[in-house]
Amino acid sequence: MDAQLKALADPTRRTILRLVRDEERTVNEIAAEFAVSRPAISQHLKVLSDAGLVTVRREATRRWYRSSPERIDEVRQWLGDFWAHGLEELKRAAEQEEWPERARRQRS
Amino acid sequence: MAGAREAAALVTDVVELAIHIEATPATVFRYFVDPERLVRWQGIEADIEPEPGGRMRIRINQGAVALGEYLEVVPDERLVFTWGWEGNDGVPPGSSTVEVTLTPEAGGTTVTLVHRDLPDAQAATDHGAGWTHYLARLQVAGPGGDPGPDALASGGS
Repeated sequence: MDAQLKALADPTRRTILRLVRDEERTVNEIAAEFAVSRPAISQHLKVLSDAGLVTVRREATRRWYRSSPERIDEVRQWLGDFWAHGLEELKRAAEQEEWPERARRQRS
Repeated sequence: MAGAREAAALVTDVVELAIHIEATPATVFRYFVDPERLVRWQGIEADIEPEPGGRMRIRINQGAVALGEYLEVVPDERLVFTWGWEGNDGVPPGSSTVEVTLTPEAGGTTVTLVHRDLPDAQAATDHGAGWTHYLARLQVAGPGGDPGPDALASGGS
């Protein structure tokens, strides 16, 4: 998690992630969008890649970068579990309130 | 059905759950608007104003506080509120919306919960670390647990 937080702390890297959200791009394509040098962009891409925030596909001498879609799946999974757990607790509490006798019988 | 499928394709970042509860909608509704009942299933401390425009602040555990605003409150039927995490720039209050619908069914109530407008693919990439940070704390600690000091809340990055 530290690696991801550090990777996201830099505005250039956040802009890079935006650039590779919908389509793969090469280092040169990405670097063309910035005033900083290509090696600097390469370094940013390495940080993003190490943090798992972008994936790299090698094709001949080129490397294609794209943001990793797993992140959103992870968020959705966590939130789904969070609410599912809550709703089960809600069910237990509401049913116990309306059916205290039955709840007592089930416990005994 | 093509319309529904198109809509589903547009709204991709959604959590949708349903559960059947053997209790009346009136009883179930109280578990959303009565702070004492709310904390029996959600969080450990609730400060809520369940009316349109009212604020919602729920301490989920020692490490995470959910903040939101009620948009719709229809007694025994429906609640809509915004949802975010306090101190988390990535998912501020208002950045996502939760809709709860209570439907009388088979002598009980079916509760449908939809959490929509989750961070889109971009926001998730920008802010996924924030979400994951908070959600991990929620899961590890559980209600009432103590996940330790919050590095994000204290201003670290």
